[in-house]
Order: sequence, then C-alpha cells, then structure tokens
Amino acid sequence: MTQTICIKDQTFLLHPFGVMYWKEKAMLLIADVHLGKISHFRKHGSAIPAAAIFKNFEQLDEVIAFFQPQKVCFLGDLFHSYKNTEWQFFEAWIAKQESDILLLIGNHDIIDERKYQDLGIKTGTELTIDSILLTHHPEERAGFFNFCGHIHPGVQLQGLGKQRLKLPCFFQKPNQLILPAFGVFTGIYVLEPEEEDKVYAITSKEVIIVS
Amino acid sequence: MTKKELFEIALHWFDQQGWKAFPFQKQTWEAFMKGKNGLLNAPTGSGKTYALWVPVVLNYIKNNPDYKTKHKKGLKAIWITPLRALSQEIKQAAERFADDLGTQMTVGIRTGDTDQKERAKQKRNMPDLLITTPESLQLLLASKGYDKTFKNCEAIIIDEWHELLGTKRGVQIELALSRLKSINSSIRIWGISATIGNLEQAQQVLLGPESKSFVNSTLIKANLNKKIKVESIIPKEMETFPWRGHLGIHLLDEVIPIIKKSKTTLLFTNTRSQCEIWFQKILAQYPEFAGEIAMHHGSINKETRLWVEQAIRNESLTAVVCTSSLDLGVDFAPVETIIQIGGPKGVARFLQRAGRSGHQPGKTSVIYFLPTHAIELVEASALQEAVKENTVEDRIPYLNSFDVLIQYLTTLAVSDGFHPEEIFPEIKSTFCYQALTDDQWNWILGFITVGSQSLQNYDEYKKVEILDDGLFKINNRGTAMRHRLQIGTIVSDAVLTVKYLKGGYIGSIEEWFISKLKPGDVFTFAGRNLELVRIKEMKVLVRKSTKKTSKVPSWMGGRLTLTSQMSALLRQELYKASANQASSNELKALSHIFKEQQKESIIPAEEQFLIETFKTREGYHAIFYPFEGRFVHEALGSLIAYRISLLSPISFSIAFNDYGFELLSDQEIDMQAVLDNNLFTMQDLHQDLQKSLNATEMARRKFRDIAVISGMVFTGYPNKLLKSKHLQSSSQLLFNVFRDFEADNLLYQQAFIETFEHQLEEGRLAEALLRIEGQTIIWKSCSKPTPFSFPIITDRLREKLSSEKLEDRIKKMITLLTKK
Repeated sequence: MTQTICIKDQTFLLHPFGVMYWKEKAMLLIADVHLGKISHFRKHGSAIPAAAIFKNFEQLDEVIAFFQPQKVCFLGDLFHSYKNTEWQFFEAWIAKQESDILLLIGNHDIIDERKYQDLGIKTGTELTIDSILLTHHPEERAGFFNFCGHIHPGVQLQGLGKQRLKLPCFFQKPNQLILPAFGVFTGIYVLEPEEEDKVYAITSKEVIIVS
Repeated sequence: MTKKELFEIALHWFDQQGWKAFPFQKQTWEAFMKGKNGLLNAPTGSGKTYALWVPVVLNYIKNNPDYKTKHKKGLKAIWITPLRALSQEIKQAAERFADDLGTQMTVGIRTGDTDQKERAKQKRNMPDLLITTPESLQLLLASKGYDKTFKNCEAIIIDEWHELLGTKRGVQIELALSRLKSINSSIRIWGISATIGNLEQAQQVLLGPESKSFVNSTLIKANLNKKIKVESIIPKEMETFPWRGHLGIHLLDEVIPIIKKSKTTLLFTNTRSQCEIWFQKILAQYPEFAGEIAMHHGSINKETRLWVEQAIRNESLTAVVCTSSLDLGVDFAPVETIIQIGGPKGVARFLQRAGRSGHQPGKTSVIYFLPTHAIELVEASALQEAVKENTVEDRIPYLNSFDVLIQYLTTLAVSDGFHPEEIFPEIKSTFCYQALTDDQWNWILGFITVGSQSLQNYDEYKKVEILDDGLFKINNRGTAMRHRLQIGTIVSDAVLTVKYLKGGYIGSIEEWFISKLKPGDVFTFAGRNLELVRIKEMKVLVRKSTKKTSKVPSWMGGRLTLTSQMSALLRQELYKASANQASSNELKALSHIFKEQQKESIIPAEEQFLIETFKTREGYHAIFYPFEGRFVHEALGSLIAYRISLLSPISFSIAFNDYGFELLSDQEIDMQAVLDNNLFTMQDLHQDLQKSLNATEMARRKFRDIAVISGMVFTGYPNKLLKSKHLQSSSQLLFNVFRDFEADNLLYQQAFIETFEHQLEEGRLAEALLRIEGQTIIWKSCSKPTPFSFPIITDRLREKLSSEKLEDRIKKMITLLTKK
C-alpha cells in the first residue's frame, strides 16, 4: 500500500491518503488539511453536507493508528479560515493525541498562534532537521531538501483511446517534495513534470509511481 | 373617453407615421382594454411593440382624461426583455408614441448596465414604463418595500417569451409573476412569442395552469405570411472541400460577392469564437472593407454593441458578423441579406434569422446557408424542406427547479421576508412547481434555514432566519449582499472583465479560457489582438499587441443540438441519397463523398442501422449512426458504453455529433457480443441510463448551474470588487461531497433529473431505440475512417466511462509512457 523512498539517506513512506512518514525520526508529515472549511461555507450560507466534517478526523485517526508516530507535523493550512465550530472538534481530537504536534503556519492559518500553543501544539514558520527543511510554501535553499504543501499538486495521465485521468500526487523535484492536500473538501492543481521530477499518484488505495 | 375615441387616437397616429395597423395589433388592443391577459404570437419586426404599448398608453389616457396637463406618477407597466441589448430599441419606440400623443409618460431602463445613480433615482421615482430583464426584476423583488413599487402597476409584458420558456430565467419569471399577481390582482400579463411548436403550453406556463389569469386570457396570432428563400453556398470544388471543421472560412471568397451585392448583410455564426475569426479573416483578405464591417456578440461591451446596432439602422455598415446576440428584437429595416454560417440546428432559429431581412411586408426574405463541412450540406437540404413545410420545434419548460426556488425564496427573505403559508400557494400555482409536494417544500425551507442536514448543537449555518412572528428573513448584510450579486449570474461559468491597463472596458470573457493563458500571451478578442498583462480580482488587464496569434477564446455555450424535427428531416435526406434519389443541389454536390462513403461502408437506408469499426493510431473506434441529434447521441452513447462495460472491464472515450456517436477504446470492442447481447434493447432503459449517468460527467456538469443558482457556490460578479475571502470552491468539489455524504439532497438529485429531461431527452431516446429495434443492424469493419465518421472522431469534447479498476488504468497508462 505505501511506497518507500530515500532522500538524503533518510527513509520516507508515502501513504495513499497523501501523508508521509519519516521513519528515522518517527515523524508524520501532513499538508493542507483545511479544517473548518465546510463550517466556514455553512456559516456563509452555503449548505455543504455537515457530515463531511468528520471525514477529515476519521482519516487523521486512521493514518496515525497506522504509523503510530512520535511527532505529527502539519505543513500549513491546517485550518481554512477564522475559528468556527470545527475548532471544538479539533480541540477534542488534539486531546486524544499521544504524539507531539507541530504546525508550520500556512497562508490560510489566520487563527492566532497562541490558540494552538494553548492546546500544546508547537508552531513556527519552518523547521530544519539535519539537511531537511519543512515549510508550507515551496522553498529552494542551498544544501537543504524541502518538504512542503500549499500547491495541492495533481498530475494528468493520458492513455490510448484519448483516455485521461487527473489524480492528486506527491510531486518530487531534485531538491523538493510537495505533498498532496489531505483535506476532504480541497481541489487539486495539475503540475507538469519535467525530466528530472518524480511523481507518485495516489488513489486512496495505492501510491503509484507515474513518472 | 369611449373605446372608439381611444382607438381613433392610436389609428390617427399610425396614419401620421404612414402605417396601417395590422389586424393582430387591433385585436391585442381590444383584448388588453377588456382587461384580458394573453399571449401574442408575432415575429420580430412585425410591430409587436406597438401591439402592446399602445393599449398601455390608451388605458392611461382613459383613466386620466386630463393626461396632457397633469402627469400621474408611478409605475404603470413593466416590459421584460431577455436581452438588455434590446432595451434601447423598445424605449425609443415607446417614447415616440407617448411623446407624440403629448402624454408626459416616461420610459426608463433598468438592467445590469444601469448605473447606481440611475437606479437610486428610479427607486425614488419609478418611470411609467420600466424596461428590464428577468434578473433585474428579481433584484427589484430583493429590495425593501417592493410591494409599493408594483401595487399600481397595470401590466407586465414579457417580450420574446419563447426565448425564456425552456430556460431557468423563464422559471424566474413564473415566480415573479406569481408574486405580482398577489400584490395586484388586476395586473394584466402578456407574453410575446415567435412561432414555436407548443404555443398553447407557452401561454399556460406564462399565466399558470388552471389559474384565474389563464381562464381570462387569449392567444392572438399575427399570421403574417412571410416568404423565405433558402440558398446554399455550394463550393465550386467539392473534391477539396473538407470532411470536417466548423469554421467555414474556406468559403470566404464566395461570400464576398454576396456582401457586395446587397445594402447590409448579417452573417450569423454559431459561436462567439467563430464570429471573431470570421471578422478577422474578412479584414485580412479584403482590407477594403475596413470601417464598413463590424462584429456583434454578447461578450463585447455595451457601447460597441449599441454603436453597431445604430450603424445598421443608419445603413453605414456593409456587413456585420454576429451571433445569436442579434437574433432577437431590434428591427433593422436596412438589412437585405442574411448568411447563416454552419448548421443553425433548429428550424425556428433559422426562420427567425431569415426573418431579419426584408422587413417590408410582402417582401421575400433571403437567407444563404454556408456549410462548414461537407456533410453539413445534408443539413442544408433538410432545412429547405423544413422551410417549405414550416416545421418548428417545441420549447420544453422546466419542472421543479429547486435551485431557482431557493434563489427566489432567498430573494424574498432579503427584502421584506415571507410567511411560508402565504407564499406556498403562490408557488404551487406556477407551471414549474405545480407538482411540488409538501415534503419537498419543507425540505426547501429546511435547506435555507438550517442547511438541510445539520449538526444541531454545533452548527453555525447561517442564511435565512425565522423570526418570532414566523417571518422568514435575512438580516445579515453580508448574506444579503452576496445574494443580490448572485442573482444576475444564472450563467454557468465565472466571467471576468477584460480591460486595458490604462482603463477602458473591452468586454467579458469566461474564466476557463483565461486560465489557460500566461502573462505575455496574445489572444484575439473583440476583433483586437491583446496581450495578457495580469489578472487582478475579477479583471483581466491587457494591452494592445501587434503580434499575430491563433488564440481565440471559445465559449462553451455554443454547442447546440439538432431538434427532433430537424433530425427526422435529415434522415429523410439521407434515405434519398441512399436510394440514389438525390434531387437537391446540395445532395448532388455531395455525390463524390457519398461514393467515398460507399467504398467500404454504406449510406444507411430507412430500414438500416449502420455501425462502423476501424483502428487508427488512437485506438479502436466504433461509430454508431442513429442520426438523432447530439443530445440523444450523448445519452445513447453513454447507455451503450455502459452496457458494453458490463461485459468485461473496459474504458471508453465517447464522442458525439448530430449524426452519430463514437466509442473509442484502447482495446478492441467485441462487436459480435454487442449484437448477440442485444444491447440496444428498451429493457431496463431507465435504470441503465441512471447508472451510466453515475459513470459519466453529464450530471456533474448540470450541477454546476444548480450550485451557482442555489447560492452554494459564490462566483462573484464582473465589475464588482468583492471580498469573498476563503469562499472559493468549485462546483466539482461540491458535487463529490454531496455524492459521498448527502446523496438524497434535492439539489444533487435535480442534476440527474435535469440531465434526463433536458439533456438526454429520455422520451426522444426511447423513440430512437424503438426505431432502431425495427431496423437491421449493418456492421461494417473498415480499414480506415469513412467520410461520415470523420467529423465525429475528430471532435475533442468527450465523455468518459470505465469499468476498469482505477489502479489498473493508471498502470496501463504508465506502460504506454515508458514505451515511448
């Protein structure tokens, strides 16, 4: 089900839900969850099914149970907008967690950082561990390999008979890997891979190398 | 004043203009003065404006004998027009009569183009006649105290009702009328419609079935016999005429002599991009036309459009390349010649366009038909027949459009609020919602107040509140503002305004086209080459460019289908060709193509159903030819693809045009199995169609409109700076969430019902299957594409259907990739 890749002599497991597990550091990386997006829409008169709210938490529970990480690092856009009722679900969810939780602030994260800190979540804009750089926005920095989110990468595949597929993916460049968006109610942005890029499409069941 | 004296005033004025009142005009005056409602069936340019404006004025004179000295203020009549481009014309005509009679009556326009100052002025002091659009009428209902505005309004006239009927804007009108009837029970309701197949139904939809208004109504037909002559432009060298294409540019040289011969020529194109290209090409190859030709389509700014319309009237233009934007209203007497480029797809539309020329009574209207590819000549031949027999289509009205109802109720909640028990009977009295159940009604009320299913304690859903006295009301200003901005957007795609960097509005353009461009790219728009500088808010900023470009925005709305009447005529023409009885010039010109078709395949006769298979670099093609029009083929293609996909895992790309459909796959289709399993059977039709719909994108596309109209997706509004922070989402995403979490949602369901009723035309599909059941299937395995197949297999707009596992499909595609 998962794919294993090596970067800077470290081992990373790619999961079909779009998360990534750093084996040596026992750290789970998750990008662009966009919690609260559905409630934000509902609050503004757009009746998105409220049941979809819980799907994010169910999937978070599933991947955490699968990897049992010591640390979980959210690569930004954890919350979609201002605080709303989903914050309470989030609080309840955090209370159950045994791992350390980190949040690297993304452009959507406009809730005061102290609110996260009050829940025991460490916050910051970036994190460097050895020669790995974790951020929300994609970054190029000499000597570092960057893991990031923000883009919601997707890939388009073509087959015989004019067949076409669009899928979310992990998008790996020579010095960077962009994680797919984790959230239920998020879109994708199609990227075109260059010669040296590697693309891992996800189907919710499998991670498949496509180029 | 007696009726006779009043009529005398009008007839005297007609005399002064050198006109004679038509019988239908006088009949309409009579009926109106008697207090009747009705539907007037009269074509454009027949004097229909005066058929209804005259009695409005006469009625005012009757009620105000001192009308010349004292002006009684307040709204007397509303004139609804589907296209704001028409409002100027109507205003001038109305003012001419009112002024000449010395009535002091005022005429005002209120559309999306009307500025804020003017709107405010109207709010304080309504003109006697208000010319407006369905959207702007809704907006009036969204303003506080709207009932006072309409209380003394004596008449509402819906112009071009045939254009609104069969659209959701028509449903907006039905709802607005149901409200106006309650505010003022004596209001007269009149519709004006060109000839369509279901005129009686059109009258019922307008007035409400079984309503008092309907009982007290009449249908008046103008019955103006107009002679129409259709001439096809047949290429001199058929051998080099292309088998596919949709532009028709290769016949440009044949068009020039026609333009030169006549005073003013209108060239109708089917899409805005085609319009842009034709305009450019004429100027490039015949620069002497510079300044004498112009272009007119819906995306060009208002000033330019008005200028073009005025120039046509002044006879200062030789030719205008246009789209359906010039289909309606506006009487252009100087137009002598019409050229239709590409199949018009419907007889009524074609006749209406033909009617744009030769407006003088008794004069023959000439319309030239220019085929864009060879097979389209068959359509031309069918059109000849249609004109001879005067066959016209029905316009099918919508039923139970929950999205429009939600929009309407929100509108009422924004203005003065509403009590459900008062509004429900009004809504039930409309044609669209006559079968609305109590359950559905309660669901709708729940949807706008608690957001259908909710989380009770935690939910913050906010839209319509229920006040203590039971009034449904929106008090939040942000919600109200967003709703007002959204009313105008009953179109599907987000639209951006195109502006010069230094200012100056050029027009509007669909977002999906712009999203494919990068800054620095050059594209053609409104007849100019423009360089994209950047996109900011809802604005596309550009500068002029001298670079050449091939990028022309295309608009998705341009795809039309053959109506069932046209399809039947088309089949008749082909049967003639099959039996070697080609008699028309068009069919004769096609003889070498027919010969080519017959090399490996056949031209099907009445008792035959043709299937062709062949292999190309792209994969394995199977083409089916029911000749039933695009929509039926879309349904039939999905149905057959679905049924084949049950036999074994397979993926299809499906293409369709008005002649047939194609199933394309990376594996060979077992055609013998298709025939042996009798996949064209009527059995389980509804069920299989439903399942094939789930497998394709059709309902998903319908859902886009529904999500916008019901206010779930906020698109913003051109020309308006808007803070919609964190509220962008696509209807695609929304569709998935509903599918996975709330599949019983009425709006989600509506996407499927609409696909059945308006897109797939399930009834027509059943008829087609019945016909096919009686035919012998002829399967031809060919070595290469045939002339009939060519326009289909080269079509890029495709539907997909697969019964293979996603993971398997990905792996196949990768294998292909690595082979390269």
